[in-house]
Amino acid sequence: MSQAITRRAGLGLAALLCALAPLSLALGPAGAETSGPEISFEIPEPGSVPPTLGAEAFERIYEVVSHPRCANCHVGEDNRPMWSGPSYGAPRPHGMNITAGESRIGAETLLCSTCHRTNGDFDTDPHAPPRAGLDWRLPPVEFQWFDRSAAQVCAQLSDPERTGGRDWVELARHLTEDAGHRGFVLWGWNPGGNREPAPYSLQTHVEDILTWGAAGMPCPES
Amino acid sequence: MKVSFKVNGAAQSVDVAAEMPLLWVLRDHLGLTGTKYGCGIAQCGACTVHLDGQAVRACQVQAQELEGAEVLTIEGLGRPEALHAVQDAWVEHQVAQCGYCQSGQIMQAAALLDLNPAPSDDEIDAAMSGNLCRCGTYPRIRAAIHAAAQKLEG
Ligand code: FES
Ligand code: FES
Repeated sequence: MSQAITRRAGLGLAALLCALAPLSLALGPAGAETSGPEISFEIPEPGSVPPTLGAEAFERIYEVVSHPRCANCHVGEDNRPMWSGPSYGAPRPHGMNITAGESRIGAETLLCSTCHRTNGDFDTDPHAPPRAGLDWRLPPVEFQWFDRSAAQVCAQLSDPERTGGRDWVELARHLTEDAGHRGFVLWGWNPGGNREPAPYSLQTHVEDILTWGAAGMPCPES
Repeated sequence: MKVSFKVNGAAQSVDVAAEMPLLWVLRDHLGLTGTKYGCGIAQCGACTVHLDGQAVRACQVQAQELEGAEVLTIEGLGRPEALHAVQDAWVEHQVAQCGYCQSGQIMQAAALLDLNPAPSDDEIDAAMSGNLCRCGTYPRIRAAIHAAAQKLEG
């Protein structure tokens, strides 16, 4: 048995209108986006997916979370976001001496929102600071992905103590909810400027999390 | 779109493109040219103003974010006969050279002191490193921020 769920990631009239065209993106003219894409997912019965398929799904998950669009902010205890990607060569700490502090929003130093505005219009000029529909911040330190191996990331994602208490279904749901706010997850695939988007798609990433979870969350050895 | 907000305490209403940067609203529509354009992509800090009490880069704030907001620019921070403590300290330390970056520097420094009344050198560097000065007035900026902190405390 599988439980089919279609989550409408978004609110208001735009989302209602968009419901007439499933799987289309609720994108209006620049600056007018107030809702995210429709993300549908099916929660497979736990144990119904062979571990090999789960392992393959995790390989794709790791490609996503270790990509600069995701890992640059999922940094460790130094609270320094990174700049990396095709236009940077080697990864380097965010310019302007930025550290987000223990608050992870720059409260002790320079607030992220000084430059990164809360605004669901992802369309920024090259090298301008990205925006999102949620207040810009670093994720909690225990969610570190930057400079972490596939095995380390897999252990973290499998440990509710380090996922904000989320199991695999809640992780997938978290992705769709973020997208509904035009948050950072959706931004990763629509990063604006001349940035390279995260690989695959948000839809595939949600499906991969659910496949991996239903397969028993198999983890690589390295 | 039509957007109504306050600038330096006065109600303002403009009819502009939703994506227009606050910097153009201030300079081109309201004639407040004390806020400077350096880069347009949040790399220099010359356009720093306060939005609802927080320092922001005016080149990154879109008009559609402004409804009901309170904006403070260099023109409203102090008055010639009653300077803000940061402006007073700036004069005392003769911080400015060409001056182009200085309204942004002063607005960022004033926001820093609102949050942290007695910043250390490191805290000043952490808050002010996004404000560039081609003339290299950084040592005087730092000294003037310490002086302003003392004025505000006193
Ligand atoms: S003009 Fe806004 S930061 Fe340079
Ligand atoms: S005083 Fe000339 S750029 Fe700062």
